[in-house]
Amino acid sequence: MSTVNKLALLTFCTALLMAGSAAAKTGVAAKGKEIYDKRCTWCHGEKGDGAGAAKDRLNPPPRDFTSGNYKIRSSDFADPTPNDDDVFRMIRDGMPNTAMPGWSSLLAEQDMWDLVAYVKSFAGYDKPPAKQVDYGTQIKSSAESIEKGKKLFEDGDRCVECHGKTGKGSASKRLKGDAGERTWPRNLTKPWIFRGSNDPKDIFTRISTGIAGTEMPSFADPKSKKKLSDEERWHVANYVASLAKTDKKVNAENTVIKADKVEGELPNTPEDERWEKSAPTTFYLVPQIIGGERFFTPSNDTITVRSMYNDKTLAMLLEWDDRTKSIPGDDAAEKLADAPIAEDGVAVQLPVVIPKEMQKPYFGMGDAANPVNIWHWKSGAKDATETINLINSKGFKEIEKRDAAGVGLKSKASYSDGTWKVLMYRPLTTSTPDKDIQFSEGRFIPVAFAAWDGSNNSEKGSKHTMTTWYWLLLKPATGSKPLITALIVAGLFIGGLLWWARSAKPAAR
Amino acid sequence: MTKKRLIPRLLQLALIIIGVYFSFILLFDVALHQIIPKSLLTMYMLFVVAGTVMVFTFTEEGAQELVGPIKALVEDPSKKMLRNIVFVIVPLLAGYYTYTSMMPSFEAPMELRTIHPAPPSKFKAFGKSYNLTTLENPFRKFEKEDPAKFKELVKEGGNVYIKNCQYCHGDKLDGNGPYASGLNPTPLNFQDVGTIAQLQESFLFWRIATGGPGLPAEAAPWISAMPVWQDYLTEDEIWKVILYLYDYTGRRPRSWANE
Repeated sequence: MSTVNKLALLTFCTALLMAGSAAAKTGVAAKGKEIYDKRCTWCHGEKGDGAGAAKDRLNPPPRDFTSGNYKIRSSDFADPTPNDDDVFRMIRDGMPNTAMPGWSSLLAEQDMWDLVAYVKSFAGYDKPPAKQVDYGTQIKSSAESIEKGKKLFEDGDRCVECHGKTGKGSASKRLKGDAGERTWPRNLTKPWIFRGSNDPKDIFTRISTGIAGTEMPSFADPKSKKKLSDEERWHVANYVASLAKTDKKVNAENTVIKADKVEGELPNTPEDERWEKSAPTTFYLVPQIIGGERFFTPSNDTITVRSMYNDKTLAMLLEWDDRTKSIPGDDAAEKLADAPIAEDGVAVQLPVVIPKEMQKPYFGMGDAANPVNIWHWKSGAKDATETINLINSKGFKEIEKRDAAGVGLKSKASYSDGTWKVLMYRPLTTSTPDKDIQFSEGRFIPVAFAAWDGSNNSEKGSKHTMTTWYWLLLKPATGSKPLITALIVAGLFIGGLLWWARSAKPAAR
Repeated sequence: MTKKRLIPRLLQLALIIIGVYFSFILLFDVALHQIIPKSLLTMYMLFVVAGTVMVFTFTEEGAQELVGPIKALVEDPSKKMLRNIVFVIVPLLAGYYTYTSMMPSFEAPMELRTIHPAPPSKFKAFGKSYNLTTLENPFRKFEKEDPAKFKELVKEGGNVYIKNCQYCHGDKLDGNGPYASGLNPTPLNFQDVGTIAQLQESFLFWRIATGGPGLPAEAAPWISAMPVWQDYLTEDEIWKVILYLYDYTGRRPRSWANE
């Protein structure tokens, strides 16, 4: 299916979904309060000011309803009042990539309308908005529309200023929310994490109203120098929807990194085009909230892995979006990040011995009986180049630093436009098999990853994101054996059946 | 002579076996959301096939009736067309089956673990030893004695929960917190009738205080992301969180008194 067709289908499905959504109902604020006090105060606070117990441990922080800022709304840019349906949708469906869940599994529809009434009362909204977003006539996505949208996106630095040339939101300036908190431009290549859905109509709405409480302005505002007409906003919405990088979307079924065997040399740069052909596997990165000093406000959310091997070496390409290239001492990096900054980093964890049974080393740096190898790459500082480090550990308290060069572990990294690509390679076998994993074909090898964003609170080593155990498989070349055996079996069956028929015939006569 | 049947015996046999096979899949995969392991299904089906064939061939007559159509297929000259078709299809199927089973499968290995392992009778936490058979929630009594105080304790438990547990177990206690999908095993769903409603509060205390690393081997402690909460929470905080879990979900803990 082409992208355009996919988008058309998506639009159609969303339209169906919208058609199925109930028309706005009237809620009773007093009833909403009861539900709010039981379900919502923990994060949003009893007074609706976003000062619940969880406040400092959530990223993004819980909404302060008393501010009157509703990020996701469909009323006119000049009127901050949300529509009841806007608030209802957020309660029912939740907001992706935040701690706000969808409540439809636990609350009845009327309960959620009651909540809408109560939540709106914190900012004193008691009337519907006077004016709505003007959608004009929707322009369906097409190659032509996307092309126009791209031009408008880039012209005069309109969107590129914050979202970057490729839309990844790689930082070029510091952004602040109304409460003074640091905010980051959305990474537009991951539309599945858009808080208010990635349907072009919703994207159009965001572009038209702006996002309240942030520096995202309205592009429908006639006073804006960067103003866009209805038609132009549809083109930009279609372009934004087309930016999705689906290889960075997690497919929960896909838990195995399949390394293809190649003849001859392996790619020796992250940019080698042979990587394009290697199947990507993407995993969720979760913050380290399990041991030592915990990390509650992560910025890296996924990591994408590709792997290849030849008869001597295994290569692994790790790719993840990071808005900041964190090089301590570097002027550009220090201007953007909140000091002190540390190096960016990524690590691969492998068991020293490939388990024969189900038991694996503890996924957080191994355990006393089951040590792990950790290949830890760091981005380097202003006057120091990138490094690759080899660590053997038996849990996070028993760490042995080893010589990476001694076992032939190497790395090569590149950063461009909000994405790190780190290539690591190591010989399949080493001269110290009691200390290093020895790779062999066809075996399911547990593998886990970790990532550090040096511009986000990562001066402490324990403040990183990580994955649970997944699998690495060096895909063996199968050859022609299965085909030959299958032909032999089929042949035997034909022979057997013919023999049966032949031997049965005389008896029938 | 056997009487004419609506469905021939051979077809009956086939239908029963296929029916049982799909019932298994329907029951486990669809109704219970537990993917049934292939090896287990194969073993079950072996018994089913053996049993059904035994029933169908219990009498000589029955056996004859079953084998009859197969014999006829091979021997009856009038069935030549059908015979030719079968003789082509059967070897093809056998070849295909051999081919697919010999092609290495790149599916991740299946891992089975016990979700609620049998607890030890004693365990150590907070530098002391607890006896799980007598351990009780010291705050439970306030539910009857002092409801206002109990409400306050539940609230304190809720604050501990939202600052520590919701990341995985979720705001709704449904095991679907913001980071749940990045974990394997997935966090426990406390709303489910099969979890805390089946357990005593002392079991929860043990699981929370000693975390993933405190699990016995059959529960695969090496993949559990449950932290060792005695490193972060006090004894009282754990008991309060337990109150909150039951209060929020409306479930009741099991206790020796109620058994």
